[in-house]
Amino acid sequence: MRGRAAEEHRHEQAIGNLTRVRVANGPLVEPVLRRVVSMVLARADWPVDRLDDALLVCDALCAHAPAYASDGRLAFSVQADEHEAELRVLELTADGATELVRDTMLPVVGNVLERIADSVSIEPERHGEGSQLVIALSSS
Amino acid sequence: MTPDMELALAARAENIAIVRHALGGFGEAFAVPEPKLSDIRLAVTEACANVVVHAYPEGDEGPMEVVASMRGDELTVLVRDWGRGIKPRPDSPGLGLGLSLIAALAEQVQLGHDSNEHTEVRMTFALDEERLGVNGHSP
Repeated sequence: MRGRAAEEHRHEQAIGNLTRVRVANGPLVEPVLRRVVSMVLARADWPVDRLDDALLVCDALCAHAPAYASDGRLAFSVQADEHEAELRVLELTADGATELVRDTMLPVVGNVLERIADSVSIEPERHGEGSQLVIALSSS
Repeated sequence: MTPDMELALAARAENIAIVRHALGGFGEAFAVPEPKLSDIRLAVTEACANVVVHAYPEGDEGPMEVVASMRGDELTVLVRDWGRGIKPRPDSPGLGLGLSLIAALAEQVQLGHDSNEHTEVRMTFALDEERLGVNGHSP
């Protein structure tokens, strides 16, 4: 997605409670993702235990998602109210979201994302051939 | 120049804290010394506050974008809005110190528009040599 369409998409996405972030793969990913998610959930008055669960999700994403970022940068969005939050990992390669879920599988424990989140789903990118991983969490 | 970090969020006062914390993460990754990072956060906070207060007519909501790029020993931060631009405003609720403060904290400040006519404040911060002694890499 380039040019005017990308601009319009970003504009549309920036309105409301959505926070959208794109960072270069590497050491920036973890500190930025964790802090942004923490702030968004704290502002929505989430209890500390569930905020910490969300950070476990962030840790899993930071460890594995950069491998599937389509342009060497990891894009994500987060929005929350006092009951629910949605974290999206955007602009992944076509099979990236599927591979990412597979990578977060642990022996005995199972899938880290699915254990913590209320739902984990995969959606196609609105523009282009990429995929998105959509993680829904509740505050209780 | 591909930015290292881009944030897009609604131009609301409560979102400025998210920007500040994201910059904190940026500073951690690049080992920016705390006194300098504090100056950077303050300058960017002021630029974002200008967007929240001045960019959009009262009752309207629009986006605010923050773009940070580290090149060598220099950090450039752009704060951009899609609003009505930077103009003198006699009824401003602020003290009118925002841009002066930014100019005092940054090595260079440019006010202007990007290629899509969005208003932007471009701040450049020189990081001292101490940073490269701690962490000489660029993510």
